[in-house]
Amino acid sequence: MNKFKLSILTGALLSSSAVFAQVTAITNATVHTQTQQGVLENATVLIENGKITALNPKSFNADVTVDAQGKVLTPGLIGTMNHLGLVEVGAVSRSVDAYDKSGLEFDPSTAFNPRSSLIPYARKGGVTQNLSIPSLPWGESGVFMGLGFVADLSGEFGSVTDRKTALIVDLGAASGDGSRAAAVQAFAKKLSEQKKKLTAKKDKKADKDPSSEEKLLIDVLNGKLPVVASASRASQLLELIKLKEEFGLNLVIYGADDAVLVKEELAKAKVPVIVSAVSNLPTGFDALHAHLGNAGTLEKAGVKVILNVAGDGSHNVYQMRFNAGIAVANGMSHDGALKAMTVNVADTFGIEGGKIAKGERADVVLWTADPFEFNTRVDTIWINGEQVTTESRHDKLTDRYTKDSSMPRGYTK
Amino acid sequence: MNMFKPSVIVLALSTALLGCQQDTGPQKDKVTIEKNPYPSTYQPHSTTSTLITNATVLTGTGERINDADVYIVDGKISQVGKDLSVNADTTIDAAGKWVTPGIIDNHSHLGAYPNPGVESHQDGNEMIHPNTAQVWVEHSVWPQDPGFNRAREGGITSLQILPGSANLFGGRAVTLKNVPSETMQGMKFPEAPYGLKMACGENPKRVYGGQGVAPKTRMGNMAGYREAWIEATEYKRAWEQYDAEYAAGLNPDAPHRDIKLDTLRGVLDGEILIHNHCYKAEEMAMMIDLSKEFSYHAGTFHHGIEAYKIADLLGENGNCAALWPDWWGFKMEAYDMSLENVAIVDAAKNSCAVIHSDSDTTIQRLNHEAAKVMYSANEVGFDIKEEHAIKWITYNAAKSLGIEDLTGSIATGKQADVVIWDQSPFSVYSKAEKVFIDGAKVYDRHDSKYQAVSDFMLGQR
Repeated sequence: MNKFKLSILTGALLSSSAVFAQVTAITNATVHTQTQQGVLENATVLIENGKITALNPKSFNADVTVDAQGKVLTPGLIGTMNHLGLVEVGAVSRSVDAYDKSGLEFDPSTAFNPRSSLIPYARKGGVTQNLSIPSLPWGESGVFMGLGFVADLSGEFGSVTDRKTALIVDLGAASGDGSRAAAVQAFAKKLSEQKKKLTAKKDKKADKDPSSEEKLLIDVLNGKLPVVASASRASQLLELIKLKEEFGLNLVIYGADDAVLVKEELAKAKVPVIVSAVSNLPTGFDALHAHLGNAGTLEKAGVKVILNVAGDGSHNVYQMRFNAGIAVANGMSHDGALKAMTVNVADTFGIEGGKIAKGERADVVLWTADPFEFNTRVDTIWINGEQVTTESRHDKLTDRYTKDSSMPRGYTK
Repeated sequence: MNMFKPSVIVLALSTALLGCQQDTGPQKDKVTIEKNPYPSTYQPHSTTSTLITNATVLTGTGERINDADVYIVDGKISQVGKDLSVNADTTIDAAGKWVTPGIIDNHSHLGAYPNPGVESHQDGNEMIHPNTAQVWVEHSVWPQDPGFNRAREGGITSLQILPGSANLFGGRAVTLKNVPSETMQGMKFPEAPYGLKMACGENPKRVYGGQGVAPKTRMGNMAGYREAWIEATEYKRAWEQYDAEYAAGLNPDAPHRDIKLDTLRGVLDGEILIHNHCYKAEEMAMMIDLSKEFSYHAGTFHHGIEAYKIADLLGENGNCAALWPDWWGFKMEAYDMSLENVAIVDAAKNSCAVIHSDSDTTIQRLNHEAAKVMYSANEVGFDIKEEHAIKWITYNAAKSLGIEDLTGSIATGKQADVVIWDQSPFSVYSKAEKVFIDGAKVYDRHDSKYQAVSDFMLGQR
């Protein structure tokens, strides 16, 4: 499978908005690079053509200079494992495109709606990119959800930046009468059958091209297509590590409430985990070790941690930075929590962004202060090099109902 | 066979009875309705005194006192102020720390929808009829829900457990003290009035309309409430007539007892408070008129995504509005969210803005929820201070539950429900360090002796 890198195309589309070729300089920023450079004080970041073109250049000419006055500049945050762009109102079925029964090959990316009202709202939380995923319809259960994809949150048409980013599978507790064992077996069977076909092909000339599903499975087997598996029980996670080793999977675990029991194994097997920082209730018998300290515990054990917003993470992804603060209050490092929403996501899924470095996507956020605090807000946000607003229809509603007017509110716009 | 006409005979007999009303015979025993058949067995157990010194105290009534002391004796707040010269059994140096009233959540389903969320634990919604005013959610509460402990660790000292929102009338709500107990009665807030859960909008019409049963529409919802209140009014009248005739020395037959109508009558009598799941402005306005039509108070609107559109009306009518800071979009009636909803409602005259959780997760951090609102509103021109914002999760929540004279503020004579925070509770990094209920320490972050563990979690780790 080809990984479609669409950022160049996106750039081309965006270039119609005249200002594209300009050079923006952000000066005097406290830059959290999320690279080996760490945090740079009084730093300058140059942006041109949607890319970061220089960090602390000796000299520069800029069309626009933004004096950050020491404020914090971070890479844009990257949301994961929600239906952003695939849902407007959860209970309005015709506004939802995330659910389908077609399984392994289901790619919902063409239904991504950049004009969804959730997108500017998410930007209030400094979120600039998002991994959206499909799910099975309500009440259905099964192993294969389909394929996740990445979009930037510019709100522009053509903002899907990476399709077929990851295969999403549910290998946790079955919601119906099924068994965890059956779920793993079903997945393993697909993989071993495909592996056999590949071995057979080596022996004799293939007489036909692989099907689209076979192409996906081939990419799973060669590690090009990450597999995000929902699972929480510790013994199940060990089974998944075995699968990773047997089939060479690029495995990511989602949920992972009891992952702390096998943290060394996860670290050794280099399996990233996606966790909610606020998941601390024994929601089931797979989550008896859910705890506010888990993100920090996993970080300390050397596990690559990604923080996400559980529950309705589509409408609430803006809260991700607050959840990071809660993780920090309970033992995670501040830098680790920021990485868990930026570079760790980008590295895990092989997508651009998540770092402030020369050549990276110019998705950066200037914060008024500590990005995790309630009294901090986004000062300025750039996506693909363009400054974008954080205003959403929610602000329009607030304006309408707080402004004095001699006319009925329906006339306040 | 002769065809008797029994109805004629019955009619004749009953006319005769009515005529003499048995006024010559001895009265039968008076039939009375026990209004508290599952009484609280909660006993405050603190008989010691505690002095918390040098804290930043938010009283819950709008005051902030820096470097202040709080003196607790026999489970009650005895004094609040600077440099109290008193002797206490225990003195806690709280320099650099903040003290607030115990946090109150007026919208929780803990115990009724507990964790683990297994099939046999789904006890919060009696989805069999649009009017189930006969059910009492206290009969569903599992006191071993680990969520109670997590909530206490977040400073929750009192909480109202509500039935779900599938029905027009979902049943009775109960207010609990958040203490570990083997029984619901051991948690029950002794003096708190009962609540009645009502629901507007999408949920009832979806649940029943989908089955081809009324209500199928919003107008069907309204018809359902009105029919129920008419029946309750007649029931109330029948019992009042019985009581009056009995008091007059007559010997009337008691009306047929109906536990559904007992609850609705309790609302009409002003003894049970309405807690109304209601999102939309126009629906809340109609629920206020409905309450006037049948002479009760419309109580507290819960969720109220659009409460900001009718903030003045809510204030004028004395309704509390229990709101989320930022949940939205999960259904159409939750689409018009404003991050300033709480602040706009709060700014109206005679307002009662409350932040609620409706969540086993956010109940653990209602202080954070209040912080979100405060800072977001201040960004757009409000000027809300911590000492004011804390009211949303303390005093105003107590008012919504009818317990504001007992708890919800740090004032002399109040129940000593108190939280010591490691820093400003409006920081994302803040945590409750010590929690007191009626003067007894029920949680200490640094002393495992005061960290309760549910039976369910014992031996699981």
